[in-house]
Amino acid sequence: MVPPVVALVFSDVAGIASTSVGRTGARDGIRPGASPIPRPSVQTNSELADRPHTRRDPLPIRHERPLALAVTGSGGNGALTAGMILLAAVARAGLYGLLTRSAGPQIRGGESAAMLRFGPEPLACIGDRIDLLLALDWANHLRFSEELPLARTSLVLADPAAGTLPPVIAASGAALHPIALRAAARRYCDGRTNMVAVGVVGAVAGLPLAALLQGAAESLAPKGEAIVTAATACIRAGFAVVHGEATVTAAEASCPPAALARWNISGNEAAGLGALRGGVRFVAAYPITPASDLLEWLAPRLPRLGGLLIQAEDELAAINMVIGSSFGGVPALTATSGPGLSLMSEGLGLAVASETPIVVANVMRGGPSTGIPTKSEQADLDLALYGLHGDAPHLVLAPLDIADCAFTFDWATRLTERLQVPAIVLSDQALGQARAICDPPPAAPALAGRERAVPGAGGYARYAASIDGVSPMAVPGEPGHMYTAEGLEHNARGTPSSMAADHCRQLDKRWHKLVAHNYGPTWADIDGCLDSHPAALLTGAAPGGLCLITWGSSRGAVVEAAERLRRDGWLVRVIALRLLAPLQQAALRAAIAGAGAVLVVELNHRGQLFRYLHAQEVLPTTARVLAHPGPLPLRPAEIIAAVQALEDAPVA
Amino acid sequence: MDSTAIPSLGARDYKSDLKPVWCPGCGHFAVLSALTRTLAFLALPKHRIAVISGIGCSSRLPAYLDCYGFHGLHGRALPLATGLKAARPDLTVIVTGGDGDGFSIGGNHFLHACRRNLDLTYIVMDNQVYGMTKGQASPTTRPDWRRSRLTPEGTGMQRFKPAAIALAAGAGFIARGFAGDPNGLSHLLAQAIEYPGFAFVQVLSPCQTFRPESREWKTRVHPCAGAPARDPATAAQLMLTDDGMALGLLYAQVLPPFESQPRLEGDDLAAIEAEFAL
Amino acid sequence: MNGEQSGASGTIGSVAELLVHALELEHEAATHYEGLADSMASHHNAEVAALFRRLARRSSERAGDLADRAAGLQLPHIAPWSFKWNCPGNPSDPDCLHAEVGYRMRAVQALRLAIHNERRSHAFYLQVAGSAGEPVVRQLAAELAAVQTEHLTWLADLLAREALTDRPLPEDLDPPQLP
Repeated sequence: MVPPVVALVFSDVAGIASTSVGRTGARDGIRPGASPIPRPSVQTNSELADRPHTRRDPLPIRHERPLALAVTGSGGNGALTAGMILLAAVARAGLYGLLTRSAGPQIRGGESAAMLRFGPEPLACIGDRIDLLLALDWANHLRFSEELPLARTSLVLADPAAGTLPPVIAASGAALHPIALRAAARRYCDGRTNMVAVGVVGAVAGLPLAALLQGAAESLAPKGEAIVTAATACIRAGFAVVHGEATVTAAEASCPPAALARWNISGNEAAGLGALRGGVRFVAAYPITPASDLLEWLAPRLPRLGGLLIQAEDELAAINMVIGSSFGGVPALTATSGPGLSLMSEGLGLAVASETPIVVANVMRGGPSTGIPTKSEQADLDLALYGLHGDAPHLVLAPLDIADCAFTFDWATRLTERLQVPAIVLSDQALGQARAICDPPPAAPALAGRERAVPGAGGYARYAASIDGVSPMAVPGEPGHMYTAEGLEHNARGTPSSMAADHCRQLDKRWHKLVAHNYGPTWADIDGCLDSHPAALLTGAAPGGLCLITWGSSRGAVVEAAERLRRDGWLVRVIALRLLAPLQQAALRAAIAGAGAVLVVELNHRGQLFRYLHAQEVLPTTARVLAHPGPLPLRPAEIIAAVQALEDAPVA
Repeated sequence: MDSTAIPSLGARDYKSDLKPVWCPGCGHFAVLSALTRTLAFLALPKHRIAVISGIGCSSRLPAYLDCYGFHGLHGRALPLATGLKAARPDLTVIVTGGDGDGFSIGGNHFLHACRRNLDLTYIVMDNQVYGMTKGQASPTTRPDWRRSRLTPEGTGMQRFKPAAIALAAGAGFIARGFAGDPNGLSHLLAQAIEYPGFAFVQVLSPCQTFRPESREWKTRVHPCAGAPARDPATAAQLMLTDDGMALGLLYAQVLPPFESQPRLEGDDLAAIEAEFAL
Repeated sequence: MNGEQSGASGTIGSVAELLVHALELEHEAATHYEGLADSMASHHNAEVAALFRRLARRSSERAGDLADRAAGLQLPHIAPWSFKWNCPGNPSDPDCLHAEVGYRMRAVQALRLAIHNERRSHAFYLQVAGSAGEPVVRQLAAELAAVQTEHLTWLADLLAREALTDRPLPEDLDPPQLP
C-alpha cells in the first residue's frame, strides 16, 4: 500500500495549469521556459523537469488510517492556519483528529509546524512518524525536523521555489514530490500559499474537497467573507493539482455538518470548560506561555456566567486573588506554567493552611527556568508534589488527553470545593495547545459542594475537627459566623496558636480530609486490566503480563503502544494516573498486582513519577522507567522498543 | 451633628475577644480604636465587612475585629482583597498592614491596586520599622538610621514616599493620619471607606519598642496646608515638598472605578459548550 | 496638634449631648486601660496590669452611672470627629504616645498617665460648666467635674503611696533584640 517513491516531478505545475480555476490568460507564465521556479537542489530528473506540462504523474493518494501529516514553514506563513482548516475538514469528513503544533519562541516568524493525525478512531497520540509532509518553505526546518520524523514510506511535498532542500529530508528516504505552490498562489489566489497547500495536502490525504471547503469556511469565518472566498479558490486550485480539475456541486460544497456529536476543542479550551463545569466563576492570572490561551478563552466567557477574569500584576498576585475570591465563596482558578507555579508556592501553602479551595492549572513547558516556553515536558511533577513549604497536603491531578482536560478540571474543581484544599492540575503544552476532534467529554462525578456553616449554638469554629476532616466554611456576608481565616497555625476557632497540640491536630485534620475521601474509580484510567484480562488480577500472576504506568499527556502514546503490543500477542495493561496526590496506593497496588513486568513511562529527564511511585512503595523492585525529556514527544515505537528491551533484560 | 437614630452597634461591638499582641503604647491600638469607631459610626453590618491583611504587627488587626477577616501572606493582602472584592462587590473590604508589608515585599501590588481602582480601603500603619522581625529598617526608614543590626550603617536608600507613589500610580484618594489623633483618623477612615474606589490611608503609627523616638512625632505632625488637592499636579507638588508629617486628606478625585462584571442570573454553560460541537 | 484637625467648635446645648460626650470619655478610657492591661499582662507586668484593670473598671462603672442618667433620653449620634471638646488637647484621645508608656512601666508611670488623662476630662467638664448656654447643662457639667475631682484625688493618693516605694525602671533582662 506504500506508494512507490516518486522522483522529483513537476507534474503539479501542469496540474494547476490545466485547471479552470484562477484568472485566464495567465498560462504563458507557467510555460516551462518562462517559469521563475528554480529547480530543486537534489537530484532532479532534468528530462522530466524540462517538459513538465507533458507529463502528469498523479500524486499518490494516502488512504491509510490513521494518517499523520504536517504542514511546515516559516512562522507567519500560514502553516498553523492550514492545520486548523485541515482539522476542521477531518471533522467534516466524519473522522477523529489530533492537531499539534510546534513553534519557536518568536512572537511571529521563526518556524512553525502543524501536525495532524486523523482516522476513524479517537486519537490521543501523534504517532511515530509523519506520513505526509508539506513544506511551505524550508527556512529553519532544522529547528523542528526532529519533531517530524519521516520514514521511507513518507511523502514530502515541497515547492521547488522554497529553497534548498534540507539534507535531513533527503536522508530520510522519503519520497519527494515538488509542488509549485507559490506560483499557483501568485497566479490564482492572491498569494495564499497556505490555502493552496490545504487543497494539495487535503487531496493527497484523501479528504473530500467539500470537507476541506467546509473546514475553511468554518475556520476563516471570523476573518470575513472575502477571505473565505479567496481561500476557497486556493483550496480548489490545490485540490486540482492532485485530482485534476476539481469541481464540487453547490450541494456538496455546502456539505451539511456530519451528524456526529463530536467536538473540535483544544486542551486549554477543554481545561477552561472543565473549570466552568466544576463551578469556577473567578479567574486571576498572569500571562505565560503556554497557559495564556486557556485564560484568553475564559476571559470573554466567564462574564456570560456571571463570572470575572482579572489579569494580575504577577503570579504572586494571581494566586492570592483566587484565594480571596474563594474565601468570598466564589470558586476560583488560576492558570500558569512552571516558572509561575514556582512563584505560587507560598500562596499554595496559604490555601492549604487556611483551607481555601482553589484550582491551579499548570500547563507545563520545558524547564527549568524559562526553559523551552513553547514546547512540552512533564517535568513539574516534583514541584507540584513537593514544592510547598511545611507539611502541606494538597491535590495533584493530570488530564490524560485533550477531552480529558474538561473532565479532570471539572473533577479537580469539585474536589477542591468538597475538600477545601488547593489542587494543582498538570496539563502541558502538548495537550493545551493541541486540538482534537473528539467525543464530547463526560461530566465529572457529582460531589457534595462546599460545606457551609449553619447557625448553631456556641461560637463558630472554622477549623473544628470532624469525622471526615472537613469543617463547615462560612462565607462573608453571612451573619453569625464571622471568623478570620489564618495562614498562621491556629486552633479550631482560627485563633493563631504555636502550641504543639494545635499544630498536630490541624496537620492531622488537613491530611485526614484528603486521604479519607473516596475518590472513586476515576483516580486512574486503567486499560486492559480488569475488563480485558480479569484473570490477570485474580490469579495475581499472568505470565507475560506487562503493566505500563503513565500519567497525563503521555497516556496517548502508551495506550497506542499497548494496542500494538496486544496485536502482537502481548498481555498488556495500562494504568494512567489522573490523581497523583493523594496517591491511591492500595488501588494502584491492586492494579499492578500480577504483572510480570512494570514499565513507567513519562516525558521528563529522570523519571519523576517513577521515583515518586518508588517512594510510595507501590512498585516492584523490578519496575523500570522509560523517561526522556521534552520537547520531543513520546512515540509508541520507542515505548515498544523499551518494552522489548525489558523483555530481553534478565529480570530478577 | 447627626441626631438621627442611635446606632445599634457601638465601637466595642466590632472588637473580637482576642487580645492584641502589640506592645503597650503601640500606635496600632489607636488605629484599631479609630477603625472600630468609624465602622460603628457608619453602622456597617459586621458580617458584611471583610478585613484583609498580610504579615506584620499591624497585620494582626483583622483578628481583633468581630468581622470576617483573612490573615494571609506577607505582602499579599492587596491581591487577596482584590480577588475578594472583585468576586464579592457587595462586601466592604478593608486592607490593613504595615510599611514593610505594603511598600517593600508588597510594593508591586500597591502600585497595581492604585491603578486598578477597585473599591478598597487600604490602611497602612507606618512605623518606619519592621517590628515583628525585631527592628529592621523598612522602606520608609531614614537612610541613616543605624539602630538595626541588619544595616548597621543605615540603609543608604532613599525613603519610599507612599503618598507620592500612590498618586503616580493612579490612586484617587490619598490621606495621611496619625495614631495620636484617632478622631481625625476616624474621619479620614470614614471618608476612605465611603470613597467609591481605591482609598489609601497612610497612618503614622509610632513603634514604642524599636523606634521610641517616634513618640515625638506628635510634636512634628501638622495639618496639610492646601489639602485636599483636587488635581494631580497640585497634589504632586504638595506630596513631594511636604515633610511626610502633613496630615489630612491630601488628594481626592473620583476616578472611574474598576468595573466588576455584572453577576448575571441564569447559566449559559450549554451555549458555551455548543461552540465546540461540530 | 490634637484638636486642630478634629473636633467641632460650638457649645454643648443639651443634657443628652453632654452625656454622649461623657460616655465617650469613659468608654474610651475603659477601652484604653483594658488594652494597656492586656499588653502589660502579656509582658508579665502583673502589677501594672492589675492597676490598669482597676482603672478600666472604674471607667466602666462611671460609664454605667452615666448610662443610668441617660435612661429615657434620646441620645444624639455623634461622629468621632464631631465631638465638641473645645479645650486644649483632646480628652477622648487615648494618648497612646504618652512618653512613659512602655512594657517596663511601673505603677507610678501608669498613675501619672491616668492623672494626665483624667485632668483633661476634668478640664473639659469645667469648660462646659462655665460656657454652656443651658443652666441644666452647666449644672450637670459641674457635677461631672466634681466626680472627676474625686477621681483625681483618689489617683493622687494612689500615686503618693506608690511614689514612696518608687524605684528606677527595671533593667530589661530580655530586650527584644537579643543577638
